[in-house]
Amino acid sequence: MNAPAPAARAFRKVLVANRGEIAVRVIRACRDLGIASVAVYSEADREALHVRRADEAYPIGPAPSRESYLRIDRILEAAARAGADAVHPGYGFLAENADFARACEEAGLAFIGPRSETITLMGEKTSARRLAVEAGVPVVPGTLEPVAGVAAIAAEAARVGYPLMLKAAAGGGGKGMRLVKDASELEAATERARSEAQNAFGDDRVYLERAILKARHIEIQVLADHHGNAVHLFERECSIQRRHQKIVEESPSPFVTPELRARMGALAVALVQRIGYRNAGTLEFLVDQDRNPYFLEMNTRIQVEHPVTEMVTGTDLVGLQIRIAQGEPLPFAQGDLRQSGHAIECRVYAEDPDRGFLPSPGLLAVFRGPGGPGIRDDAGVYQGFTVPVHYDSLLSKLVAHGATRDDAIRRMRRALAEYTVLGIHTTLPFLDRVLRHEAFAAGEVDTGFVDRVFATPDDADERAWEIAVTAAAIERLEQRRRTRLAPPEAERGSAWTRAGWRERAGGRL
Amino acid sequence: MIVDATVAGRTARVEVTGGEGGRYRVTVDGRALTVDQSRVGAHERSLLVDGRSHDVSLSLQDDRCTVVLEGRAFEVLLGDAAVGDAGVVRARATGPVRLLAPMPGKLVRLLVAADQEVAAGQGLLVMEAMKMENELKAPRAGRVREIHVAERQAVETGALLLVLE
Repeated sequence: MNAPAPAARAFRKVLVANRGEIAVRVIRACRDLGIASVAVYSEADREALHVRRADEAYPIGPAPSRESYLRIDRILEAAARAGADAVHPGYGFLAENADFARACEEAGLAFIGPRSETITLMGEKTSARRLAVEAGVPVVPGTLEPVAGVAAIAAEAARVGYPLMLKAAAGGGGKGMRLVKDASELEAATERARSEAQNAFGDDRVYLERAILKARHIEIQVLADHHGNAVHLFERECSIQRRHQKIVEESPSPFVTPELRARMGALAVALVQRIGYRNAGTLEFLVDQDRNPYFLEMNTRIQVEHPVTEMVTGTDLVGLQIRIAQGEPLPFAQGDLRQSGHAIECRVYAEDPDRGFLPSPGLLAVFRGPGGPGIRDDAGVYQGFTVPVHYDSLLSKLVAHGATRDDAIRRMRRALAEYTVLGIHTTLPFLDRVLRHEAFAAGEVDTGFVDRVFATPDDADERAWEIAVTAAAIERLEQRRRTRLAPPEAERGSAWTRAGWRERAGGRL
Repeated sequence: MIVDATVAGRTARVEVTGGEGGRYRVTVDGRALTVDQSRVGAHERSLLVDGRSHDVSLSLQDDRCTVVLEGRAFEVLLGDAAVGDAGVVRARATGPVRLLAPMPGKLVRLLVAADQEVAAGQGLLVMEAMKMENELKAPRAGRVREIHVAERQAVETGALLLVLE
């Protein structure tokens, strides 16, 4: 711990440098704390939910992220204009951009997150691995320095052994990763990994790790204040993924024993204290079938799946982020924290699972989330909103909490059935298949789970099919009986989102 | 009214009569249902079918109806049984196919050239949207007659990309 703790100061106004559901989440946390919120929006987001919910909102440029949500200068201008005293970066965009954190600091704005030096330290993945090793945290066997050039990569691959993972040294969040099963695949994989890394992160260096097959992706949530106090808030199981994108998360992990939990928690806190970490963060681990944990990387920000931890520990992590940044000490010690019951989160994406998860932007003719006991829906969109094409496709996070894992599963299935979306495709039907799968019920999930769900034939519900054709036929009859005016905007908008391709014969039929 | 309703390759003949007070008599492949239907929103219907309650959202455009119920989505294709739509479907299968952009985005890569023979399911081009790349495939075998887009071109939904014959 080097820098002295700043004096506690209550924020009057926080600018949220993000969009979608996380911006709404931060605005809610601000409101809960009596702090004014400032939204920034691109031209595609004028009607977005975060703009509607904020106290103030300022435009920051055209739709593409590069010209709006990634424009540090425009965001700082908006902060100055609004007289904000702090900035919350959310996740993605500039959340792990050390330049942004530093620019905020230099502009006299509190950055709600760790110091910019820490972001740099943990942002370069081999640096993070070396620090973990120094802190006594086991890491996935592999290289501890970035590797540049085809020859060096081949040499390291021979040393590390197969199967191995090629990863971007400047990357993270599952991007720029490649599985290499044996030496014959190395050359092609190296070329693609390096070019992807160059395009995504401006740095073509990679690092190598042994690939751990049938591993579980388990992460530990940490919080640290500016006074040297650090705690962990237990684990989240995130093994259900598709192309390294998480789909379902839960806490506690059905695989983690109390001993493993205590061990991973202690390792996480040790690393956090060693680097003088401040604010919220998450340490990601792979855990093999023998319950050996291996550190992967650290995310120096709030995570998408944070609600799952909030539900089982009864905490408000985003609120705590703000309070920590204000200089308050943590309001609890490790011994005060408990996991109570079980929480599951399903991410609802605007994608069509029956067409290879083809993105499905468009107008939400109907968007109705569920409610009731133990259900939380963090939606970033609303009925009547047009989901834009320029940003990622996360619509909302649906979280169910129950006393036991089975209770949480039953509640989640109820909530998924209540969730009604019309106008675009979503992953809701796919999520229901995941939750119904017997391997999920047994807690037997690993990173290969999603492929197994697809391999399992979906049992067609006879009654639902019959009602669907009945409802459609009645609608056709009623439409014919009504005087036809121009189709309402909602129906026109939904036409093209339905099929992957539209075919038309040569003439009108 | 009698229609043929097709979902995921399975077709049923559906007959609908009545409608006064929202009460219909429906038969699906000869199976009789008594339906009490209420419009509860522009796109939302409450159907009581032989005592069972079904909460439905739908959107009918031309002969395609998207129906959402119980968290599942069904794409229902309606054809007038009386008019004999089968002939129409046949014509569609052999005429030239105009392939339109299913979403707005950017054309990243063309995988075929004009005059090229392609197989059903063969990748034709790659589009990027929502930070993801998607390969769009030929719906049937044929020859690429015309290509209407260039690499790096931004396209709107419904833009003509390719004609396959």
